[in-house]
Amino acid sequence: MATYAEMQQIFDDIRGDFRYDHELNGCLNCGICTATCPSAQFYDYSPREIVQLLWTENVEQIYDAMQEKIWACAQCMTCAARCPFKNSPGGLVAIMREVAIKHEMQSAKDVLRPFGRVMLKLITTGNQLSPDMIQPDHFPDWGPNIQKVEGDLRILRKAIPVKTLQTVETAWEVSLKTSVEMYTIWEMTGVLKSLELMDENLFDVIEDFIDEKREDYEEWLEEQEEDDD
Amino acid sequence: MSQDTVLVVGAGPSGLTAAANVAAAGYKAVMVEKEDVLGGAPIISGYAKLVPSGEWAKDAIGRMVTRVEDDANVTIHKEARVAKLEGEAGNFTATLSNGDTVNAGAVVLATGFTHFDSINKPEWGFGTFEDVLTTTQMEQMVTAGKIACPSDGRVPERVCILLCVGSRDRQIGREWCSKICCTVSANLAMEIKELSPETDVFIYYMDIRTYGLYEDKFYWKSQEEFKTKFVKARIAEVTASGDGRLLVKGEDTLVKRPIVIPFDIVVHAIGMDPNADNPEISQVFGVGLEKHGFIERAEHYTNTCGTTRKGIYSCGAAYGPETIDDSIAQGAAAAGRAIGDLHALVQKAS
Repeated sequence: MATYAEMQQIFDDIRGDFRYDHELNGCLNCGICTATCPSAQFYDYSPREIVQLLWTENVEQIYDAMQEKIWACAQCMTCAARCPFKNSPGGLVAIMREVAIKHEMQSAKDVLRPFGRVMLKLITTGNQLSPDMIQPDHFPDWGPNIQKVEGDLRILRKAIPVKTLQTVETAWEVSLKTSVEMYTIWEMTGVLKSLELMDENLFDVIEDFIDEKREDYEEWLEEQEEDDD
Repeated sequence: MSQDTVLVVGAGPSGLTAAANVAAAGYKAVMVEKEDVLGGAPIISGYAKLVPSGEWAKDAIGRMVTRVEDDANVTIHKEARVAKLEGEAGNFTATLSNGDTVNAGAVVLATGFTHFDSINKPEWGFGTFEDVLTTTQMEQMVTAGKIACPSDGRVPERVCILLCVGSRDRQIGREWCSKICCTVSANLAMEIKELSPETDVFIYYMDIRTYGLYEDKFYWKSQEEFKTKFVKARIAEVTASGDGRLLVKGEDTLVKRPIVIPFDIVVHAIGMDPNADNPEISQVFGVGLEKHGFIERAEHYTNTCGTTRKGIYSCGAAYGPETIDDSIAQGAAAAGRAIGDLHALVQKAS
């Protein structure tokens, strides 16, 4: 459990975000955000509650909401499209999540751990998901429909009439140049820094991989120059 | 010689009052109304009983129409607009769309408002489902004397009224409160229950603003005597259920959970937009509009009912959402300003 001073610091970091005043104008307490929220239908999550906690500066309850509730948001932003005051509850949740990561909150680590596999896939292939990840054991929430994707994936993918999609280890093919550009973006936007705070082991693996890919790219560039000569 | 004449544009509650008061003071009023009937929104949109008098609109506003029609000092041009205005305070010349010319020393813009068009909030089902109506349509149903679903004529078990449709909504650029809808809706709920006792009425609100004396006469009375249910929730969507009813999705913010409730009729309590003609009115009369698009009010304390142009006055819903009673009071005030200023001009000249 955090001290009050720590919770206050977490709130100050949220409020200090440059997007905060843009996402939160006030609140008429009308509830249209929660009414329209798909996550509120299934989880103990209410965008109006998040907005109210922030607007009333309830630092203890904000800290509490960051343990579990804010991770239920699907970031669909329907709340932002509906709010008559043009608040963005989903945008506020995004800020809260980033602050949770910055403070290395255990809740963030617990929630994000299962996504390590997706992260690794994303960094190494440029794809979030690939056909070979879709196995019945990994997607229990899909229910019996998962059976439809069982079978010889390679044959199934061949049926797609687009050449770049006829892969199994990646959803589509990503060029080396695009990958290297993505690494730069993730570095400059702090994504890799966040990853380091959340999962140091995964960060090390990914960092090594990135270094390797960059070397590959440099070599490829040199080869191109030699060819030109 | 035009310093004995006031041009009144618009023949709704405020314009009818302005013209009658100008004439009563011994001046001449020339009314220009774009529609073919006098009375403004309450007559053209077929309002039922008015707030707070409880009188039928056609009777109450009808008396105002008869008053100007019977007054020899009031000239009326129907189905006409002011196409051009030349001159200055004390000596204006207006050219009408019917070719007539009016010389007047002052102009009163009683040009009113336009009802919000619910098509602009498609998620609330107006234009998609037959049983989604506006308050003006529901008032017409009350005036006709029978509450029934337009889709199949059945008597509705449950009717809900959604407040703030086209009001207090930054998403669609309506940042104002339309002022009258809370009270009108509480009144409408009572009228529905009176005509159809087996129908239950629910009102979904963000805040209830039955201000002043409307609190007990409408908000409390609709609950105590007519069992109207008020739910604090802004509705997210109106959809259809399989059995021909409407589904209303909201959050009951006091119970704090999302809810989906079936209704037979959904009524939009539509707000008051600036008159759709205001850009044209602004150009023809050379008056400014405030940031929402209503007529810009001059300094209020000593230039009451003024606009940004000398000799041109305004009143009622042209300035912003307004009640009928206050529009009438402002119409009288604008007439007072107009003839007072004309009188001063004549004094100065002699």
